[in-house]
Parts: sequence; C-alpha cells; structure tokens
Amino acid sequence: MPTFSLPGLRAKPTGAGGLPAARGGRLNWPRAVVVALTCTAIFLPLFLIFYQSFLTAPFFMEDKALGLDAYDFIFEDPDFWMAFKNGLLLASGLAAIAVPLGGMLAFVMVRTDLPGRGWIAPLLLVPIFVSPMVMGFGYVVSMGPVGFYSTWAHQLLGFVPWNVYSFTSIVVIAGLTHVPHVYLYASSALKSLGSDVEEAARVSGASPWQVMFNVSLPMIMPALAYAGVLVFFLGFEVFGLVLVLGDPEGHLVLATYLYKLTNKLGTPSYHLMAAVAVCLVAVTLPLVLLQRRLLKSANKYVSIKGKGARQKPLALGKWKWLALALLGGWILVTIVLPLSGIALRSFVQYWGEGVKLADVLTLQHFRDILEQPSLVRGIVNTILIGVIGGGLAVACYTAIALAMHRKPDGITRLLDYSVLVPRAVPGLLAGLSFLWVFLFVPSWLDGILKGFDNGAAAWLSEHLIPQLRQLRSTIFALWLAYSVVWLAYGMRLVSTSLLQVGPELEEAARAAGASRGRVTRDVTLPLIKFGMLGAWLMVFLIFEREYSTGVYLLSPGTEVIGAMLVSLWAGGSTDLVAALSFINITLVAIGLGIALRFGVKLHN
Amino acid sequence: MNVLTVNDLHLDYGSGAAANPILKGVSMHLQRGEVVALLGPSGSGKTTLLRAVAGLESPKAGTIDIGERRVFDGSRKLELPAEERNLGLVFQSYALWPHKTVFDNVAYGLKLRRMSTSEIAPKVKDVLGQLGLGHLGDRFPHQLSGGQQQRVAIARALVYNPPVILLDEPLSNLDAKLREEARAFLRELIVRLGLSALMVTHDQAEAMAISDRILLLNNGKIEQQGTPQSMYEAPDTLFTAEFMGSNNRLPAQVVQRNGSGARLRVDGRELNATVRSPAGAPAAAAAAADSAALIRVEEVRIGRSPVDNGIQLPLSTCMYLGDRWECLFKSGDASVRAYSKQRIEAGNYWLEMPAEKLWVF
Amino acid sequence: MNTKASILAILAAAAIPALAQVPAGYPAGYQQLVAAAKKEGKLVVYGATDSKATQPLIKDFSALYPGIVVEYNDMNSTEVYNRFISEAAAGGDTADVLWSSAMDLQIKLAAGGYALPYKSVEAGKIPGWAVWKDMAYGTTFEPAAIVYNKRLVTGAEIPQTHADFARIITQPKFKDKVTTYDIEKSGVGFMFMSQDAQDYPQFGALQQAFGAARVRVQSSTGTMLERISSGENLIGYNVLGSYALVRAKNDPSLGVVLPKDYTLIMSRVLFINKSAKHPNAAKLWLDYMLSQRGQTIVANESKLYAIRSDVNGETTSAELIKQVGEKNLKPLAVGPQVMEYLAPAKRMAFLKQWKDTAGKK
Repeated sequence: MPTFSLPGLRAKPTGAGGLPAARGGRLNWPRAVVVALTCTAIFLPLFLIFYQSFLTAPFFMEDKALGLDAYDFIFEDPDFWMAFKNGLLLASGLAAIAVPLGGMLAFVMVRTDLPGRGWIAPLLLVPIFVSPMVMGFGYVVSMGPVGFYSTWAHQLLGFVPWNVYSFTSIVVIAGLTHVPHVYLYASSALKSLGSDVEEAARVSGASPWQVMFNVSLPMIMPALAYAGVLVFFLGFEVFGLVLVLGDPEGHLVLATYLYKLTNKLGTPSYHLMAAVAVCLVAVTLPLVLLQRRLLKSANKYVSIKGKGARQKPLALGKWKWLALALLGGWILVTIVLPLSGIALRSFVQYWGEGVKLADVLTLQHFRDILEQPSLVRGIVNTILIGVIGGGLAVACYTAIALAMHRKPDGITRLLDYSVLVPRAVPGLLAGLSFLWVFLFVPSWLDGILKGFDNGAAAWLSEHLIPQLRQLRSTIFALWLAYSVVWLAYGMRLVSTSLLQVGPELEEAARAAGASRGRVTRDVTLPLIKFGMLGAWLMVFLIFEREYSTGVYLLSPGTEVIGAMLVSLWAGGSTDLVAALSFINITLVAIGLGIALRFGVKLHN
Repeated sequence: MNVLTVNDLHLDYGSGAAANPILKGVSMHLQRGEVVALLGPSGSGKTTLLRAVAGLESPKAGTIDIGERRVFDGSRKLELPAEERNLGLVFQSYALWPHKTVFDNVAYGLKLRRMSTSEIAPKVKDVLGQLGLGHLGDRFPHQLSGGQQQRVAIARALVYNPPVILLDEPLSNLDAKLREEARAFLRELIVRLGLSALMVTHDQAEAMAISDRILLLNNGKIEQQGTPQSMYEAPDTLFTAEFMGSNNRLPAQVVQRNGSGARLRVDGRELNATVRSPAGAPAAAAAAADSAALIRVEEVRIGRSPVDNGIQLPLSTCMYLGDRWECLFKSGDASVRAYSKQRIEAGNYWLEMPAEKLWVF
Repeated sequence: MNTKASILAILAAAAIPALAQVPAGYPAGYQQLVAAAKKEGKLVVYGATDSKATQPLIKDFSALYPGIVVEYNDMNSTEVYNRFISEAAAGGDTADVLWSSAMDLQIKLAAGGYALPYKSVEAGKIPGWAVWKDMAYGTTFEPAAIVYNKRLVTGAEIPQTHADFARIITQPKFKDKVTTYDIEKSGVGFMFMSQDAQDYPQFGALQQAFGAARVRVQSSTGTMLERISSGENLIGYNVLGSYALVRAKNDPSLGVVLPKDYTLIMSRVLFINKSAKHPNAAKLWLDYMLSQRGQTIVANESKLYAIRSDVNGETTSAELIKQVGEKNLKPLAVGPQVMEYLAPAKRMAFLKQWKDTAGKK
C-alpha cells in the first residue's frame, strides 16, 4: 500500500507540551478509560512482585514481615551468582552470534537475487514460532548423547563430535534460534535503503560480500544495534532452552534458578522468587528502555523512500553457492535437526542405543493424548486463545495505540514507556503475579466494599465479587496475562501500521467536518486494516508458542499446550511432550499457511 | 462583506523557552467572491496561517472570524475545532482517502452533515460533472492521474458549499506543463462558481495569475498586500520588489534627494531614480549613503547609442530562452541582465534604465 | 416376556444401584453421608499423580456414587501446596481433597490445621504408620527402586544391595552415566535421599561414589527413565518404583531391582480440607481410596502400589513383601518426622553436604 505523506516534510511542533490539551476542558473519555485500564493491567502485577520481594514469607501468610531476607538469601547463594554470570555470558554469546548472522541473512534475502527467496522467507521465521522448550527437547532427541543423529554419527565416525549439554552448545543453539529476531529488523531496515549506494560500490569494484560488509550493514547499524539489544535481553531471560538442556550438566541461568527456587526450601519461596525477578528486571528494564531510544534513532537514520530510490537486487553470480550454503546450514541446524527429532520421537515407542527405528514406530502417543480430556482441552484452548484471544488482544493494542496516536503529550509518553515494562519481566513470574491478582484483588475489593456500609456497595459485594473470583479459573485470566506480557510486541506491530497513515488524510476528514471519533472510525481504522490482520497473525503465532506465562495459571479448563508441555516435561512424560509438540508445530504451520495464503505479510 | 477576517494572529511552534514564533501578528480579510493568495518564501508562515484558519494549528493570540462567527479568540481561550468550522481545504498532496472511491471521497462531507443518500447522490454528481470527473465516480484514487486527483480534492472541498475554500499549494504537485493549464482552469472555476478562496503558494507567477489580491508574507508578518498589479509595479519594500519578478540589483550611492526622486551614482554615472517606500512611511529611510538600486530585467533597454539615464557595460554572455535572449552585461561590480529579441554581438552597449523604473529603497 | 417378570426385572435393576450405594460392611449411618455427598454433587481434588493414573479411580468412583462429579487437578507436588495455601488465604474456592507424594508438605499442612479430622471407615485396614491422628492417610506403598538399562547392564553388574550399587557405579563404565533425582528440585527425591542418610550407615560412602561417578541429576522420574531407556544413562537410583514398573512393562530396555538390604517405601498422603466446600463427598473419596475396591484399582489399573494387604496383584504391598521380605521394607511413616528437613537450616545443610560430595563435577 503506498505511503501517503507530504513530500515536503513540514516540521511538526514537538517538545514539552506540544499540542495544548483540549481547550474548553473536554475530557476524552474513551482515552481515559483505555489509559487507566492499561496502566492497571501493567503495574498492578508488577507491584505485587515488588512488594513480595520485600517480605519474609508469601504475602498472603499471616506471619509475613517486611525484610530483606529474600535478598540476603539469594545474594549469599553461590548458585544465584553463577546463574547471573551464566545469564550474562549466554546473552552476550547469543547476541554475538545472532546479530552478524541475522544481518548477513537479511542482506542475502533482501538485497540479492538469490533463487528461491520466496519460500525461504517464511522458513527463516520458524524458530520464532516454535517454543524454545520444544526446540531444546528436539535437540536432545536428535543430537543428545544417544540422539538419532548422534547414533548415526557414532556409527559413521566412531564417536559423537558434539555435546549438546555443554554450555557452549547451549549458547550456540540459543544464538542460532534468535537469528530471526535480528533478521526481521535488519531486513526491514535494508528494504528502506535505496540501491544506488550499493551500485556505486559495485561499480568501484566491490564483490557482493564486500558490499554487504562495507556498505549495507554499516548503513543499517542503528537497526542492528536495536536488534542486538533486543536479543541480549531476550538471552538474559532465556528459560525453556536452558531448562531442558542445562539440567544434565547443571548449567543454570537466572530464569531456571528462579524455577528451581520453587522447591529448594521445600515450602513455597515466593519471596525468593520475587527477589530474583526484581534482580532480573533491574537488568532487563534499562535494556528495554535503551532499546526504545535506539529505535527512535534507527527510524531517523533510515532514509524515507523518495520517488527516485529504486530497489534493484544485487546479482550474486558465483557467490550464490556460498550464500545458499550459509542459509542451508542455518536452516539445517536450527530447524531441520530439532524438528525432525521431535517428529521422530512422537512416532516411536522408545529410542536409544541399539534400538532399530523401524521396529518401534507407533501412533500410540497421539492416541494417549486424545484419551486424556485435559490434553484435548488444552489443544482446543490453545487454538481458541490464539485465534479469538489473539484477535481481542490486537483490538486492545489498537485501542491503546490510538490513545497515543497523534497526541504527543505526557499521557502518550507515559503509555509509551509503560508498555515496555512487561517485556522486562520473565513470563514465569508474570503468570504467577496474575494468579495473585485474580486471587487476591476480589478479596481486597470485598473488604473495601464491606467497609463502605451502603446499599450499592453491598449489592456489588454480593454480585460482582463472586464473579470476579470466578475469573481466575477461566481462560480470561490466561488471556489477560498473555496480552499484557506481549503488550510491547503487539503494540509495535500496530503502531507501525498507524505510522504509515499520513496525517493529512485525517486532517482532510476533520476539515470536511468529521469529529475525532469519526475520523478514527472512517479513515484511520480502514487504512490500517491490513496491518491489523498481520498483527493478528503474529500475535496468534506468539500465543501459540507461549509456555512460561501459563504455568502457574493452569487449572482445569485453562490448560494450554505450552503450559502443559512444561508440566509434562517436569513430570517426565517425554513421549507425550513429543507428540504434543508435534501437534503444536502443526497448528502453527497451519495458521501460518492460512494467513500467508490470504496475503498477510509477515513483516513490513 | 468579509467572509474571513484574521486579526493580529500570533502563533508559536513549541512553548516556553523553546518557542519558535512563526506568525508574529498577521491581519487580513477576505471578501466574498475574492481570491487571495498567501505568497512568500518557505518559512514565512503562509501554510501555517492557512492551517490556523482551518483549525489544524493552534495560534497563541489574535482572532479569526468566519463570516460573523468567531472561531478563534486568544483572549477568551475560544478555539473551535477544525471539524466545526465548515471550511473546504484542498491539501498539497490532495490527501484523497485511498480506501474510498472518488464518489465516496466527495460524498463524505455530505454524509457527515447527515444528508440522506438520495440527496447526496445528485449533489456529488453535479460537482463531479462541473469538474469534468463525471465518469470517474467509481474509480479509486490510485487509478487517477495527478490532475484528476487534484480535481477530486477540489470537488471534495466544494461539495458542501463552504463559505471559504482553502488551497495549500494546489499546483506544486503538478508537472510544469500541466501547471499552466491548471492555473487557467482553477481561476476559471473559482470565478465561475463565485467562490471565496484563500490560496497558499510560493510561486509569484501563479499568485499573480490566479488571485485578485496578494498577501506577501515575510518571516511571520505581512510585508505588503495589494492587487497583483500594484504588488508588481509598485512594490513598497525591497523584499517585495525582489520577490515579485526578476530583478537587477545595482550597487548605488544616493547623491541627492528631492521628494520621491533621487539622484544616484551608479558605475561612475549619475542617474535619476524613484524612491519607493511603504505608503505613509517617511522617505528618510531611503536616504542611506549606500543603497540598493533595483530595476526589473525587462525594463532595461539595450542600445548602441548613449542615453541619459543609463550606463555603459560590455556584453558578457547571452542565453537563449526560446522566446527571447537574456543577455548579461558585466564590468567589475556592476552586472546587469536584460532581454533582447535577437542575438547581439559582443561589444559595449548602453543600458537605459528609465527613472520611474529604477527604484531605490 | 410376561409383565410380571419384566416389572421384577426393572425393579431389580433399579435396586442394584440403590443397594450398591453403601459398600458392604459399612456402618448403618453411612447412607446419610452418601446422601449428603450426592447433594453436594461435586468434588475437587488437587493431586500430584498423573491424570492418566487417576482416571481409572475417578471412573470407578463415579460408577460407585453416580451424581458426584470429580474434578481432578493434576499438578506437581509443590504446586499442590502452593495453590492450596494461597487459595485458602484468599478465601476463594479451593480443593476439598489434597493427595500428594510430597509427604512432608502434606503433613505440614495437616499439622498446620488445614486438615479435617475424620476417622475413615477403612482406617483399621491399613498399617498404623500410615495414619496420622485421623487427619492424614497414606494411600500407596511405593518403593524406591534401582532402574538399569537391560541391554547395556548385565549379570553381575546389576546391584542387589546398596553396597553393591556404591561399588558398581565407581567402575569406569558408569562414569557420567549414573542418574538420580535432583534433590533440590524433586520433593520425592529429597525425601528418599534424606531418609537414606538416616537409615543407611554407609551413606557417606554412597555419596562419595556418586561424586566419583559424576552423577547426572534429573528433575523427574520420567526424564530419568527416558535417559536410562535410551542408554544415555545406564543406571538410576531411588527411582519411584511405581512409574518404573509401568514403563518397564512396555519398554524391554528397562530393568527394575529392589535393593535387598532395605527398600524405602513412600506413601502418597491424602487429607481432607477442613474448610472444604464438599466435605461429605471428600469423606466418601477418602473411604473409597482406602477401601478394597479402590485399592484394587490403585494396584492394578493406576499401577501405584496398593497399601492394603488384602489386595491381590503385581503392584501391591503383598507382592513387595514377598519379594524383599517384610523386615527389609522401610516405609516412611506418615507423621511429623517427615517434616524434619523442612526446617530451612537443616535442609540447606543437607543440600550443601550433598553438593560438596556427590554433586562434585
């Protein structure tokens, strides 16, 4: 869709204050409601975590007291420091691998004439949509000490040349699986470059690889920096991969250390977990804010495509084989190996050294799944929460984005930073804090209402509170947790579309006499329709693969595949894990296929 | 009767310490059936003024009245939002809604005014017909040419008969050739429909061709206003003179002054010139020793024989412009351009500058 | 068919469920309990046992007492505790019955006043150590077994006693290939290991052996069994026998052996929530779990070892007694002793000791 905006950019008034507030004291009610709800949903759970970390016992126990015991404990625990150090190492290693690789892959896919780009593009994004736990599990089954491929390698070479449980392997795998994040940003930045700079380099005598390293990638340095910070803090928060691969040799990172704390003292150590979460957030939150700063500069840097800049792909010539090798290698290691492992494991009875594959193929695991009502419910719930929940989430994100649209005032800045906050909290703790919110807020409200002593309050107490209590065990609680955790991600998708609507289109409607509400309804929303569809698809995929947030919200009726995978893994039913993962991946693939068929773009 | 009155409008971008004043006290009026052009270099505030009238920018102080209705009053903190001002606005980029057909684009304003479909259809068809777009109602904007898009934008602004139609650089998006045709078309349309129009442009030729009155803005203030003829032929300030038309600027010294006349020393010769100043302003301002003397390029007459009010300069170069030659005469500091019907030979020429056309400010 | 006969048949058919309401041998007043439970109509259970294993019990219970819907929440043992405690504190809906393999946590709750004292009708039929103050009841009799890979560990390498095990795993073949629970993560694993520390005089040597073999710890039984089955690990210690046996039935790679010098026995503890919303249904469930009918299902369909001695089957206490000998079975008594290591200081000290010796890499 063409971008409609003024060719001669007029400097828009910015700065403190910007446009004055609505004259005449008109309060924008819809906006106020949206802002209030959003801030509650973001800050209430966070506050609970923070508060909990300064208590000596779970906050709902009578014997709790304010104290720094929790922090004392974790700071004295050598495991904590090891986990912290490992987290930093993992994050740095991950970023060091993902950023260059992602940039190179983006260049190859976007700026060159590599054959087959059309169908490779969706493949590159697959790791984003497969749960890291599932990936980890896939690696164990395919490349573990007695994995399928390891056994073949053993037969061929006499030894297994890799150890998938070593910390190095974990870093490498984590790095490779985060390449798509960098790829997304790098490719979108590269798309906005005019091709004349690269053509000038070619004319001077540079090969495509030199062009890439000396011209294209340096020109998108801000986008790469942004992506680098993103994958760094994603790496710091990594949970599922290390949960599966880190156990055998005891490699801990902060998220798995937190999970371990669930049982370390025998009884629940919520305060310890909260303290670890606060430490984690202390590292990730500044990174998230930094990332936002970088995004602004990344946007300014990339040239707006004028009429003249054409996009002519760089001819690779004989370099195409190297490019294909690079791509193929990445696809092999990151996608084919683990996924084939899962597929195989879900169809075999058991496996290992000395077992002949052909003897043990079976569909029993899938039958087992269908026999368990909770698992079937889980699959259904996952589809529902992805499709319907995803759509609802996008609607909410759009409402929030509209509350910030073209209103550069203090409220917009508040929202801008607020939506970043949930990103910094590990999904595990976010889910737990939502459980607490749903558990305790009705009681607190009840207490307050009972204190009021009038008819309306009593009526509310009788009718509203029990309904609120019921919410916890409905899928609404899960949906809310998911939507808040992925708020920043979804908002970015919607805002990108909103940014493409030229302001004069809305001004023209106002000049014709449309009120702000009508402008939104008649002009803005129809124009971002397509972008919203794309956002819905992305949110669907993200919800499908979510696993850590729902762990603590699991109850009959709210099972989803991701959370069940975690609990099944913990319970050791690896065959069910494999089969369920296989189903999950299939669901994602189907969803992706349908959407792509309808022309929804995966990224701008 | 004034359909639009602006009084002492002040507007800043930003606020507090970082405030950047754009309009510094602008007053103007627009009469019914008049076409007024807001002319000026970029940064002069003309577009800002237009947008302030439309309600898309918020001024700091002053008043804006549409007919009898006060839509902005800085002292009373009254500011009517854009959607309630009932003006038509044609954007520089046309801003046609890409998801609506041409018909729907034009009909939208009527829909907002709660007209029924049966009433809307004939009105829209009528306007489209008047603009030569009758057959394009079902097309989408991206299927139209630039000129057609412009006309749709105009139709959209006109359809609900606003008292004033505002146009923001209406011709700047068109190719040079189209621009000339569009100029005529626009003027004819406005006159035929009896519209009152306020138009922003940076092109003085366009402003002179289309408008009844020109307001020349300089750095947030009105430098001069008047009919195109008076602006061109009787500029009050150096800025106005230089903006409207192609000029020669000569270094000169005022030797003598008497009333509205002056005697200048230019390039060793003494010439008679006319002192121009804003009406009512004392002529003393022009009595500085070193002033600029200005004469329009087309007023310089090239000749071989000596003249009274002229200087002699050798020919430097001649450029062919199709309908005439532009010749440059240069010697030291002084350089003069003049037009000639034919090519002229190298050599010294006498350049006559009639006193009433040689201006000093 | 003649009418009389058919009427009789119908009456008989109707009578059977009515008769089957109260199991044989129960006190007369039990009928009222059943009626009250049916009025409640629902039962919420929080349990740490796999739904797959619990399904047969629920089905049978529903057949026995139709009209009572059993909602079984399958979560891990810490979750059972955490959820229950936070929900009880919030005053919201929570479980009626808690059934978990974490004996220490269950006793802590019972001792903390969360359990409803109720003398089960079947209380006399289970061993005395499995009942605590009529509040908490042990329901199973699960051994801690040694599991090995049949294809790769043969003959003399299969340990028959703890001393055997400690000796065998120090052989080079077993380096990096021995597994047991991560006692930091697994409640059951911690319980077994801490009990070993108390019961086994050469525990220190065993810890050293683990260290020498560079034991690989896992967080769950399933993972351990998977790794042993595939050959990634060769042998596992203190693996929960019930799961191991179920898996070994279908997986020819797994072999299970109960140490002959002593075998630890744990029992899944069940108690009724004092503030249960459906207390009568909960009582029915408890009685059912301890009844011969229920225990038969526990043994033969859920494959969790039945604790009642009068139940026949492979996975029963009777069978175990036959295999190992009664004096070598060391059940963990259902009582406050299991809470000993919940005290943070003691627990941390044990964990540190473990990590310094066995956990050394």
